[in-house]
Amino acid sequence: MANSKKQIRVVIGKVGCDIHERGAFALMQAFRDAGMEVVYTGRYQKPEAVVKRAIDERADVLALSDSTGSMRYIATDVMAALKKYKADNICVVAGGLIPPKDIPVLEKMGVTGNYGPGTSLDVIVNHVIGRVEKAAQNPSNKDHAK
Amino acid sequence: MGTVSVTETERVAFDRSFGALVRTETQSGIPVKVVYTPEDINHLKYERDLANPGEYPYTRGIYPEMYRNKLWIKSFLVGYTTPEETNKAFKQYIAAGQNGLRFPADLPVQTGIDPDHPLSWNSMLCGGCSTYALEVYEKMLDGLPLENIDYELSYSSISHSLFGYSSLVALMEKRGLNTANLRGNSINDPIRAKLVYESPDFPTEINRRVCEDLLEFGVKNTPKWYAFAPNSVDPQQMGMNAIQEVAECLGVAIAVYEDMIKQRGFKLDDFGATVFALDAESDFFETIAKFRAVRKMWAKIAKERLGATTPRAMSLRIGIRTSGLSLQTQKPLNNAARVTLQILSCVLGGVNSIDASSIDEAVGLPSYEARMFNLDTQHIITHEANVPLVADPLGGSYYLEWLTSKIEEGAYKLLEEIDSRDGMWECLESGWLKQQAEASRLKVQQEQSTGKRLIVGVNAFQGEEGPINKAVKGTAYKVPSKQARLRVIRAVKELRKRRNQPRIRDTLKELYQVAREGRNVVRPVIEAAKAGATIGEVVGVIRMAYNYDYDPLGEISEPAFISELIGG
Repeated sequence: MANSKKQIRVVIGKVGCDIHERGAFALMQAFRDAGMEVVYTGRYQKPEAVVKRAIDERADVLALSDSTGSMRYIATDVMAALKKYKADNICVVAGGLIPPKDIPVLEKMGVTGNYGPGTSLDVIVNHVIGRVEKAAQNPSNKDHAK
Repeated sequence: MGTVSVTETERVAFDRSFGALVRTETQSGIPVKVVYTPEDINHLKYERDLANPGEYPYTRGIYPEMYRNKLWIKSFLVGYTTPEETNKAFKQYIAAGQNGLRFPADLPVQTGIDPDHPLSWNSMLCGGCSTYALEVYEKMLDGLPLENIDYELSYSSISHSLFGYSSLVALMEKRGLNTANLRGNSINDPIRAKLVYESPDFPTEINRRVCEDLLEFGVKNTPKWYAFAPNSVDPQQMGMNAIQEVAECLGVAIAVYEDMIKQRGFKLDDFGATVFALDAESDFFETIAKFRAVRKMWAKIAKERLGATTPRAMSLRIGIRTSGLSLQTQKPLNNAARVTLQILSCVLGGVNSIDASSIDEAVGLPSYEARMFNLDTQHIITHEANVPLVADPLGGSYYLEWLTSKIEEGAYKLLEEIDSRDGMWECLESGWLKQQAEASRLKVQQEQSTGKRLIVGVNAFQGEEGPINKAVKGTAYKVPSKQARLRVIRAVKELRKRRNQPRIRDTLKELYQVAREGRNVVRPVIEAAKAGATIGEVVGVIRMAYNYDYDPLGEISEPAFISELIGG
């Protein structure tokens, strides 16, 4: 970890009534091990609530976790809320049970990663670092998601 | 060479040790020797510690004839989008051998909120249809028998255990059936509801009361129904190892039954037998040993601690859910091997009901064919492999008996610690139970990332996926569309307009008063369900009776008619 670099701040968000949170816990530890600052919203959150939390925490990254297959609905609401609060500089990444056909839809919205269970934690950590580095060069969310 | 990559072929050719063992411990971290001998089981006395099947302490099984007399119940959750679709699937699965019907419910209604609640949308219809009112249960069970078939309610929350059971009883009464013939069980576990799910519907104070109301009502009105079946499947899936799982389940049973005995004046014998919902994990022998150990421990605890006098009250029925967590998205065909081994461990461990996971469950909701594969696997184990012909066929194995003792010993130690920490309710409240699970979960995470625990296709033996694996991924059940979700919202709004308004007011008012006076809430919930009350209303009214806000998630205020009837 280069000390000169700014510490990456991540909010892990869970929207709706999904009960699975083992993925969120695993990531929390992996992000911390990689030197990031991590906050987890806990379950039963509204899209607006996770967005507000990300803003309050001055997060670089909002990581959405969902194991119901509903990520495209969740991401649609979250991206709209980010726009509403003029916070679309925050990078949005996602993981959990995501139907393969929804992945291009999510990518188009600017939601990247979209990793399934069993993905190596290193891959996810590197993706987040890459996303933040790109964002530093190119502040519009739509562009650095590509 | 098909999907085997060249490099892998070379490695096999050049490295004799490729794929060798990487650990010398069981999945739960019990170190094991290369071989076990008679010396390792010197401490066991046959009559005292094992005994024949059907004899105390039931280590070898609870029935003398075991599976010759009665095979395990083949059960699983059927969770499709609409009640009509679910009903059709139940009928198909029954024709293929399913004989335990496990009810679905989507995540919002299990949380205790209605489909039109602002937090419902994003997980609506996920995990099952939205059973927000009795009329949904009616559609789901249309043309299905209600008497003498096993129903299982495995809802995460206590409020939906209450609502689901009340809906079943209401439906039987509406059809003019005898509720004494209602069979099956409900998880209704107030510790798990908070420990695993942090279910927001009720605080533990209400969960504890409602759980015990259900037991009390059940004993009197539905004697063939197990109104409480402590579940440590989900605590296990959140991180607990096999020893913690056994102790947790026994701990919950002790906590709830001690309330029933000390506070409500029951005897353990009054509840008939007890059902535990346990997990079948990938560690084959440890899983078998766990089932044997928990039966033996329950027999002793029931007799010595809870005062049981009948063999029935001392014999533990075990219902299984095979581990969803063990299933992988990578090369999902491999899940067939995992589930098959888990089912086999259940049968060798003498369990009483099996809910097997499906090979496509790590990809999406199980498809019809994947479910059929589960049933067929059980038929193959029964009729081709002949496994259930002999009770406890591994009994007497030096290793298995030693491992059974090891789990027993570890779980007793944990139970002592729970007692020294003022019991399960306190261990839940203080966060100690959660810390236990989290420590074990982290250990597994570390072992996996350092290659001390290999998961095929995930952190070892990755390989490539061919057409079969791709097909498994492609056929998993699809997530409900926006239109399907909107239809449910419309339906609940229509129900609220259509129902008999004075009757809904009267029944909810009665529920409020009964809850406020600390009387048993089950009968008023049955009547409210018959009048068309929704899950959100039942939860809200009970909450208000205990001076909490109507909405567990703090998003909406109570409907005007409810403020009126409670105020007036």
